[in-house]
Amino acid sequence: MKTFANANALDLRHAVTLAQQAHQDGRTASFAGGGSDLLALVKERMVTPDVLVNLKTIKGLNQVTSGKGGATIGGLITLDALGRHALVRRQWPLLAQAAESVATPQIRNVATLAGNVCQRPWCWYFRNGFPCLKNGGRTCFSVTGENRFHAIFGGGPSYIVHPSDVAPALVALDATFRIVGPAGERVLPAAEFFILPRQDAARENVLAHDEVLASVEVPAPRLGMRSTYHKVLDREAWTHAVVSAAVVLAIDNNVCHDARIVLGGVAPVPWRAHDAERVLVGQRMTPELAAKAGEVALAGARPLEKNAYKIPLTKSLVKRAVLALSALG
Amino acid sequence: MSQQRGGSSSAPIAPMKAIGHATPRIDAVERVTGQAIYTRDVQLPGMLYAQVLRSPHPHARIRTIDLSKARALPGVKAILTHENCQVVWGAGSISGGSQYNDQMKKITKHRRYAFNNPVRFVGDPVAAVAAVNRHIAEDAIQVITVDYEVLPFVLEPEDALKPGAPQIWSEGNVSPNNKNEIEPMTQRRGNIDEGFHQAAQVFEGRYTTAFCHNAQMEPRACVARWEGDTLTVYTPTGGISNCHHDIARDLGMPDEKVRVICQYMGGNFGNKNQNQDADLITAMLAKEAGAPVKLELSRKEDFIGMHGRWPTVQYYKVGVTRDGTVTAIQMRAYSGMGPYRKNSGGIAGIELYQCPNIESRIYPVYTNKTVSGNYRGPADPQGYYPIQSMMDDIAYKLGMDPIEFILKNMVRQPPNATFTNYTLDECIRRGAELFDWKKRWKPRPGSDPGPIKRGAGVAFMAFRSGVGMSSAVIQVDATRRYTLFVGVTDVGAGAKTTMDIIAADELGVAVSDVKVVWGDTDRCPYSVGESGSRTTIMTGRAVIEAARDLKRQIAAEGWPTGDAVLTASASPNPKTPGQVRNCFGANFVEVEVDVELGDVRVLKYLTVHESGRIINPLTATSQIKGGVGMGLGMALHEDMLYDRRTGRPLVTGYYFDRVPTHRDVPDIEVTFIETDDGYGPYGAKSIGESGMIQTPAAISNAIFNAIGRRMTDLPITRDKILGALA
Amino acid sequence: MSKKRKQEISRREFLEGTGAAVIVASAAPALAAQVPAASAAASESSTVPRTTVRVIVNGTPRQIEIEDRWTVAELLRDHLGLTGTKIGCDRGECGACTVLLDGKPAYACSNLAAWADGRTIDTVEGLARGGQLSPLQQAFVEHDAPQCGFCTSGQLMTATALLAGTPHPTPAQVRAALAGNLCRCANYNRIVEAVVAAGSTTGRATQAGGAQ
Repeated sequence: MKTFANANALDLRHAVTLAQQAHQDGRTASFAGGGSDLLALVKERMVTPDVLVNLKTIKGLNQVTSGKGGATIGGLITLDALGRHALVRRQWPLLAQAAESVATPQIRNVATLAGNVCQRPWCWYFRNGFPCLKNGGRTCFSVTGENRFHAIFGGGPSYIVHPSDVAPALVALDATFRIVGPAGERVLPAAEFFILPRQDAARENVLAHDEVLASVEVPAPRLGMRSTYHKVLDREAWTHAVVSAAVVLAIDNNVCHDARIVLGGVAPVPWRAHDAERVLVGQRMTPELAAKAGEVALAGARPLEKNAYKIPLTKSLVKRAVLALSALG
Repeated sequence: MSQQRGGSSSAPIAPMKAIGHATPRIDAVERVTGQAIYTRDVQLPGMLYAQVLRSPHPHARIRTIDLSKARALPGVKAILTHENCQVVWGAGSISGGSQYNDQMKKITKHRRYAFNNPVRFVGDPVAAVAAVNRHIAEDAIQVITVDYEVLPFVLEPEDALKPGAPQIWSEGNVSPNNKNEIEPMTQRRGNIDEGFHQAAQVFEGRYTTAFCHNAQMEPRACVARWEGDTLTVYTPTGGISNCHHDIARDLGMPDEKVRVICQYMGGNFGNKNQNQDADLITAMLAKEAGAPVKLELSRKEDFIGMHGRWPTVQYYKVGVTRDGTVTAIQMRAYSGMGPYRKNSGGIAGIELYQCPNIESRIYPVYTNKTVSGNYRGPADPQGYYPIQSMMDDIAYKLGMDPIEFILKNMVRQPPNATFTNYTLDECIRRGAELFDWKKRWKPRPGSDPGPIKRGAGVAFMAFRSGVGMSSAVIQVDATRRYTLFVGVTDVGAGAKTTMDIIAADELGVAVSDVKVVWGDTDRCPYSVGESGSRTTIMTGRAVIEAARDLKRQIAAEGWPTGDAVLTASASPNPKTPGQVRNCFGANFVEVEVDVELGDVRVLKYLTVHESGRIINPLTATSQIKGGVGMGLGMALHEDMLYDRRTGRPLVTGYYFDRVPTHRDVPDIEVTFIETDDGYGPYGAKSIGESGMIQTPAAISNAIFNAIGRRMTDLPITRDKILGALA
Repeated sequence: MSKKRKQEISRREFLEGTGAAVIVASAAPALAAQVPAASAAASESSTVPRTTVRVIVNGTPRQIEIEDRWTVAELLRDHLGLTGTKIGCDRGECGACTVLLDGKPAYACSNLAAWADGRTIDTVEGLARGGQLSPLQQAFVEHDAPQCGFCTSGQLMTATALLAGTPHPTPAQVRAALAGNLCRCANYNRIVEAVVAAGSTTGRATQAGGAQ
């Protein structure tokens, strides 16, 4: 591996300072939460930091703190802890389900919530070091290449799909993200954290290179709210979502009052299916309605040569997720 | 011991003392305590670490290589390129693709060097560095600058034969045979035109199979040390004898100056019964640097630098009579070999049918993908899947139960010979009964209401179990302790334990009374090498002969006393004149296909195998289970994809390869029908490869039964299933 | 730390690591193996950032000077002589390098040694105690769980942690817990059998070894 120095951060401000100091000295710095993904990229020399700022030494950022309006979840909570957390499982089951669906137990034991949200794409062109848009090049090789796992929504000029499982869940929960950087803190809705390639093809989110995703705020569940995360894997374990559906519904007396449907594996960002949500709101839950939500959710999808199968696949997945929630009486 | 030759022999076999009893591996404790020393674990004093720089281009001529920055790095001790190392890797490219030997060395024209110019695939070695630690070696290859003249490339075998295709070798892209003739591999029997004339219906099909990597858990590695003009090589090889001869031949050294050691290795699955380019590169670096060198390939390097099952495109035309008798099979196929002919490129399967009229032509074609090579049943699963899909399809079209169709058309007698014994009927009938075929199979494919549909499929096999030459040495000392010397390395199939059991049974002692010495060419006699599912048969037979000789010596001379030992050796080379020796089997599988999500789940997998007498039921069962699990990956997931624009590989590790996990492999039920045809050690036949070769065919046939769509391209991924159902 | 001192510690660590062995490889020719190579790497330039960490490896507190870029796998294999931990992919994709960090399975290839400061590391060498295989190791032997054996250490470590928390797992629980440990010999049935069997022996005994 390339030479680098590990720098243990004492708190968030210290972490940011360490990164800033490195930059001032003309060196590059990367933040390491769990560090699994970062180390793989460093080994491939796709990221070549001079300093790794270790966030694991920051105390207290791995907690779920519940309050009246919901909960604050520290960005350094491991996916394993998130998936097992009793309050999370009870109030926001889709978030626990999403966390449990990630990779393998060994990765979930060290990988963090923030790291999962901020991980780089798992496109095989990017990961194999092709000079693509994500690697600082000028082209997306998937457009004319092997694009079975690529975007059917929001693509162009890059067609990666966002790799996170917890991100669609957080967007569906109307979570907000707290970001710490040199200028202090900023807070923004989860949906605004992610950016499309047409905004900046080299990045997947708004984080500056010296900013850290510190925590997420999840609002308390509304009355009658239920949620689920449905994920299609390409083998029974350890793949990212071929497609996924994070669905949050408020149902009372079998009538849907509120809906969030956010799709994973279909777009460069967690992809909210607004029209499908509107189809559900105010309606009695029936299999036909669920199927219609699936149809509407995929309206406007623009497949590449080899990923048109994602359209019927995602329709079915949305239908099943909605049905699964309506069956919960 | 009951011995039966010929006929349908599944009469009860006589029980034996050690043989036939489940015996834990004699080295199991080493394997569960971390004590087993694999090549990567070998550390020698003063040892250097090596790294290889590989071509990023599928086809390019190297103009210049600038090593100045790499040489200037403190700690760099040696650098090799095509300019200062012209060693030919003989086993890496062989006319005809058969086992490398002195004769083939002379004949082969399309040679593969340790470092080639031009480079012909992404991953072709360009330079190698040895340095005082792994990080400096890695830094050094980063600063080597290579000026390439990029050449046109071709990835798919059919494209490579089109007019105007880039020429990888000046003779063209069809790889020459072992006489250097540019000819396809051709097989003819009977009269194909007459066969189609007799047919009431003729069916045609096109099938493709993917480039699949062996993906053994231990990436290739080598440690080489020179002491004067003597070379010791630690390397994961399944055949220390062949590896030893290959290294000596390639380096122009006498055999006795080379020692090959492999105590443990992390999986074989083909391509390891010879030397590797890693062995040559490491040895030459160690020579250049004057110090021991360790080379550890990365997982990615192992994927892109080293072999996988050759991808194929296959066209079939099959004629059948009204009653479902196959009268003609015609096949034309293309195997993608990569730019060097490592192995044959053959495609098996036609021999499974008794059909009198056959014509097949298989073109081994050069491409600019990673070199193809042998992988567990080199020619078999990628041939079994298409032809058994074709036949399955025909059965449905004729309104026949696929099992009825198989029983009508399967091979019963090999051409111009007889089988040493024959149990295919029994394997299929027993399996159908145990599986409850009539209950699980749907007479109308796709008839479940869905969205989750079930279906059942069947495939069968008849696979070589040939006898041949191998050697063993046994000693006994005055304390009546036995030591067995065998040149096995134990790739994971349990060969050491198998040899120990055979020796113990023949000597009439406990397994623990025989110490086994393995995996070292300075200590062990020739063994055939763990490829071709033949170690138990051939080396096992040698163990019996050596043990019998030792017993004779003891009877004649009495037990040794003092420091004396009695030594017996044997190198039998049995034959089966006029007879063909096969193992037989059948696989039955029930799947569940979610037609909305395209998920395939294997619910039940049942195998019946006749591999003669089972020496160790514990490890034999594991072999079958493992073979099926691997076949499941080939059927549903594994595919070494390339980017067609750049010729660069995309599937370069386990994540993208989708190798099956614990959650993907169901319980696999294994039943052995035991026989003794009088050959091999007490009738034992081949096992290792046969577990895998039927799996893609059986799973694909089950998917057809579930959804009523014939899947014609491996792997059967979700996109293909949803595409077929759209 | 001086070169000599480091060598001594490494040597001792190695002996501790393998001292628990019950049976010694009967026929292995003397490999010069097992000599830790820490000293060779230590000679490099001072520009490589180094740190001293304290870790407890298989129950023994250690203070070790490392390069910041070393992974846990590299520390164990190249510098502590604990080669039972295998590297199959070096990218967190196969599980052969699984060790327990503070009792939890983790990929030794995907964690820096620097990040293990103050933590416990348990490896396959620490599973057997007092010359006795752990019940899980014994079950692996009896059920033929290792074929080639290259994934075995990792499977054992993950399963050890599973049994510590779930003494009597079902096959489905074993499959889920071990999903991050590939076996290319595809000997999954045998591994699951062995873990379930180890779980059905006495609960207390199954918790021995490794997990703390």
